[in-house]
Amino acid sequence: MNPFVFQSPTKVVFGEHVAATAYEVVKDLGGTKPLVITDKFLIENNLIASILEGLKDGGCEEVVIYSDVPADSDVDCVNKAHRYAKQHSCDSIIAVGGGSVMDTAKATNICLALGGDLLDYQGLNNIENPLAPMVAIPTTAGTGSEVSYVAMIKDNTDHRKLVFGSRYLAPDVALLDPIMIVSLPPKLTAATGLDALTHALEALVATITNSPVSDALAIESARLIFNYLPRATKNGDDVEARSQTLVASTMAAIAFSNSGVGIVHALAHATGARFKTHHGITNAVYLPHGMRFNLEYSKAIYGRAARALGFSNSLDDNEASEALIKAVELLLVEVGLPSNLKALGVPEMDGKELDEWCALVIEDPAIMFNPREATNEDIIGIYKRAY
Amino acid sequence: MPFFSNTEEVQKIMEALWNNIKANPEIAAPLLQSKLIVQFHYREPAGRLTVDCSDGVNMIIVWGEYDKKPTVEMFMKADVAHQFWLGKVNVPVYLISGKIVAKGPVNKALALLPAVKPAFVIYNDIFEDTLQRPLISA
Repeated sequence: MNPFVFQSPTKVVFGEHVAATAYEVVKDLGGTKPLVITDKFLIENNLIASILEGLKDGGCEEVVIYSDVPADSDVDCVNKAHRYAKQHSCDSIIAVGGGSVMDTAKATNICLALGGDLLDYQGLNNIENPLAPMVAIPTTAGTGSEVSYVAMIKDNTDHRKLVFGSRYLAPDVALLDPIMIVSLPPKLTAATGLDALTHALEALVATITNSPVSDALAIESARLIFNYLPRATKNGDDVEARSQTLVASTMAAIAFSNSGVGIVHALAHATGARFKTHHGITNAVYLPHGMRFNLEYSKAIYGRAARALGFSNSLDDNEASEALIKAVELLLVEVGLPSNLKALGVPEMDGKELDEWCALVIEDPAIMFNPREATNEDIIGIYKRAY
Repeated sequence: MPFFSNTEEVQKIMEALWNNIKANPEIAAPLLQSKLIVQFHYREPAGRLTVDCSDGVNMIIVWGEYDKKPTVEMFMKADVAHQFWLGKVNVPVYLISGKIVAKGPVNKALALLPAVKPAFVIYNDIFEDTLQRPLISA
């Protein structure tokens, strides 16, 4: 067995209506006046009312909310949130939302706790001190940002994503409340669920950095998603299905935070950056193709996963791996997601445009954890098969 | 026991290595094309090397203080740098475990890893020629 390090600093609390306890949790962490970071949709649809009531009931002297967070957060947004937090003397953060809100909250926390220019903290393990108390309440079951150590923020000056990675970025507490996600529409439920499945299946084959601990989380997470995502997509009020997918998403995120993701994420990041496609759906389209690309290097673990998930009894790893890939393809159809890039609205690329897009894939940090090295020709091949 | 007994040894090796890279157009070309300024911070023993490719034509190699702001900074023990050039460092593992700390747009620097790999084969000779001792006993 390879030596490994596994850590998960975030305390995870699951339960219906547990989001309402956010202020109590903040106080336990030493905070008194949190900045609630969320988005306009959640505010306008009164979806965070229980959290705000909890703040008032708990004796919070002023409820401070920053909700101007776009779908793809950027440095300007973080700077505005930071200024707002300082104006109101906030000492902690409650993040309520999807990946963009969570990443905004993490980056705001860097500025709030450490001061200075956000851009000086980009990189990996470049933050060396604990940040302010932070509680994360996800309203999607996919990004896993409530437990991950990473935040990605767009820099509008040169149109690239800044990567911030440090164990100190992981929220102190994640409150997993299935009631917070029952209103998520079917397409977003499916898309975010496939994002979580991609986290699980890529973490599993990150063969240099994975471990038996991350493998166990990834396989169980995949089992929960295969079993419950169709139910959650068909009937959003199915609290049991919502609960299972929410927990699965968090488990997959703990797995990939320790082992990394891979080529599917690199492809999805590059495609999303170029064509503004939804991250979860883009992952979903590329996932079977990325798995086939990795097959020769990962068939033993895919085969083991296929047998553990009940997709195959075959001891032949090629056969079992193919059953797992087929199961992913069938899941895509069952939850109503597109199965190719054309259906996703990606225009056909060639020549210089394709080469530039390939460069984005190659320089994406996710690709360094992939079990198989990819050349430009490999990436173009995957793109063409996925088109 | 550390491979380098003092800062001077680290400086000699790293300067010799990078001057060799600079003189090799095949390795140097993609680095110059990146126009990055990469600064390496070593500890145990301490030292700092900057590789400035910002004008895209001439690679500037400076030991110690440098007046331009680097694009990317990499922090590591000098031993880690030594192991890296021997081809024995798994960069993802070292980044995840914090043995290498990267500051700045790390993706740009990581994209250059395949470009510097050909230098692995010359490192052994550079080490022995520069320090006048066999690598095995270092």
